[in-house]
Amino acid sequence: MIETSKYHATQTDLANEQAIVEAAKKDPAKFASLYDKYYEQIFRYIYQRVDDKEQAFDATQQVFIKAMESIYKYEFRGVPFASWLYRIASSEVNNIYRAQKQRTVNIDSVGVYGMIEEMEETKIDKYHDKIVDIIGQELPEDELQLIEMRFFEKRSFKEIGEILEITENNAKVKTYRILEKLKKIIK
Amino acid sequence: MKRKVNINRPEISSAEIAKRKNFDSVLKQTTNVGAKPLIKKPWFLSSVVAVTIAIVTTVVFLNKNNKTDLTVADIKDQVADSLALAEFYKAEEAKPCIAPPIKGLNVHYTTFKVIAEKGASLEYKTGSKIRIPKNAFADENGNILKGEVELRYREFHDAVDFFVSGIPMTYDSAGVKYQFESAGMVEVLAYQNGKQVNMAPKKAIDIEMASNYKGTEYNFYKLDTVANNWSCLGKDKVVPKAAPASPVFEALSEPTDVLVVEDTPAYATIEKKKNEASKEKVTQIAALPKPIAEPVKPAQVKKGKYTFNIEVDAKEFPELSVYKGLLFEVGDENVNFNKSMYDITWDEAMIKEGMKVGANYNLTLVKGLKKYDLVVYPVFEGKNYETAMQTYQEKFSKYKVTLDKRIAEEKRIEEVYQAKVAEFKRQQEAIVKANEERAANEFKQMETTQKVMRSFTVSSFGVYNCDNPSAYPTGVVCFATIKNDLNTNLMCYSVYLVDKGKNGLFTFYQNPVTRLSFNPKSKNMLWTVEHGVLYWLKPEQFNSINGGTKELVMKKVDQKFETVEDMKAYFNF
Repeated sequence: MIETSKYHATQTDLANEQAIVEAAKKDPAKFASLYDKYYEQIFRYIYQRVDDKEQAFDATQQVFIKAMESIYKYEFRGVPFASWLYRIASSEVNNIYRAQKQRTVNIDSVGVYGMIEEMEETKIDKYHDKIVDIIGQELPEDELQLIEMRFFEKRSFKEIGEILEITENNAKVKTYRILEKLKKIIK
Repeated sequence: MKRKVNINRPEISSAEIAKRKNFDSVLKQTTNVGAKPLIKKPWFLSSVVAVTIAIVTTVVFLNKNNKTDLTVADIKDQVADSLALAEFYKAEEAKPCIAPPIKGLNVHYTTFKVIAEKGASLEYKTGSKIRIPKNAFADENGNILKGEVELRYREFHDAVDFFVSGIPMTYDSAGVKYQFESAGMVEVLAYQNGKQVNMAPKKAIDIEMASNYKGTEYNFYKLDTVANNWSCLGKDKVVPKAAPASPVFEALSEPTDVLVVEDTPAYATIEKKKNEASKEKVTQIAALPKPIAEPVKPAQVKKGKYTFNIEVDAKEFPELSVYKGLLFEVGDENVNFNKSMYDITWDEAMIKEGMKVGANYNLTLVKGLKKYDLVVYPVFEGKNYETAMQTYQEKFSKYKVTLDKRIAEEKRIEEVYQAKVAEFKRQQEAIVKANEERAANEFKQMETTQKVMRSFTVSSFGVYNCDNPSAYPTGVVCFATIKNDLNTNLMCYSVYLVDKGKNGLFTFYQNPVTRLSFNPKSKNMLWTVEHGVLYWLKPEQFNSINGGTKELVMKKVDQKFETVEDMKAYFNF
């Protein structure tokens, strides 16, 4: 499992990044360092949610084109620039879903085992397939997003909160509620 | 949406991902960096080319087929117009997410001073409650703030509020566009020393927003001003108010307050006018000139009947003095009459009015102690009768003229009176009907608009709403070109439909509007703004819109609104 998140940033990091963003608003070439920094994160975010690798690369390219075209509207809100890119990426992924009339879920078994452990259950193999079925069929989209980010992408609650624009605590509470719900269903 | 599940798909290495990085390609494909001048942008140039080609083609076509006299100058003007419109649309699309359409007219913020380390419980003018926990504010670096913080708060509850604020009322849910119907919106912001501050991590503000809508079909959204869309955060909680807040509800719940339409000032005023009209009629008839007295038709003496020739006082009996040769014929009712009475020279003969006034008289004959009473009738004989009849005919003709005149005048007065009564009756029936309709509507609205508190929690500052995504109103669809009353196309980008039956602001884009739809059974209005000037299409103008392609002439609103309340009063909100 590759660690996706390079998300955590100190206040100094944020300030430096904001300076680059402001420079990129005036000179598009200055966007290059942001592109380098976030390309892989955004690609992995998209690839996690689509079926086809080439489609993920194309969508990643579109995210950065749209980001550059809209950067003059960007306002710093005390969170990493990546949260803004993630929102553009989320919109791009939704466009793909609409076109294909299908949503792809890439499940990592290690992540499913992590969920079962969090549920404090021991019958790992027994519950694995049941959870996969629920995720593939009936788990509501907003709940799927949380599970996907936490267990398949290994994101921190802080990062999830910033991407989804909810508090870290709220992300945590919601995730554990989903696990409780799943636990009741699979038992 | 259908889901495809992949399990344990092979991962892609960072090296492979890095190989696909190509910033130069991104840079080349980017067309709108830093909002550079429109004329320098590829889309603009291509639009210019397309528009020019289209116009030139049209001109050539027209010249060939219709022999029009378009000149090069005309073509240049048309190209310039098209370019100006394209530039205008692009500029409109680049506007910030929240763009109030009329300069200087907006819903004002209420500013509360909050000591950051203490928190506060605040109440807005609508009764809404805002609960701020301790240490709820942070600076841009996440440092918890101390001291005084200004909390700026405002609410939006109807179409006028939504319109003047410029807050978008459209919602894009996975590519499907909806129009919001609202149970209310709030904007909450915080400042310290003039600088905007953030909500502290793990802190949240509880808001109980007073709302006119108690339904549970509304979701809770936050406006994302970057993505220019609303984010659904779930559901709010609806808490009924303890006391009924609707004046309608209060009025109907108290028997003493039940409205009797006959007691309303409007109805009573009309009733008073009715009485006045009746009195006026009587006075007018009384004031008419009186017709001359009807002449009494002379009677001819009957053959074989006995008569008396008695002189009568003309002052006492003027009706008997009209004709000459008056005689009194003894009536058949005098069973005791004896013709021997004729041979007596009576001491005294007296005439009095009889039982049939004007028709018969009582004749009293006295001789010594003897006294006889006879019922007699005035009659005329021979030539006297003929003369009397002639006189009668003349007098009757004169009498008839004055009588007919009076009858005609009385009829005219009666007709005027009846017309007034009919109008008063119509007015009173209209009041009764309006009252019944209002009562019915109020009962209906009680179900939907009873005041409640809608409770939600916000963990960042911004604009939130309790709204229900809905479709455009339906019934009539038309393709509208919006013009002013000088028959010039309005340079407008957004056209707003106000449907009084729905609490929303339905936004249509561009002019001509590609598809304008509305419910013909509702009271509708259309608003748009050109160069900061408000134009509107009145409710009655919707009656003539039956669909198809239509030119809508919108009237400039000449009144300058100083406040949002002025605008609400103007449009009857």
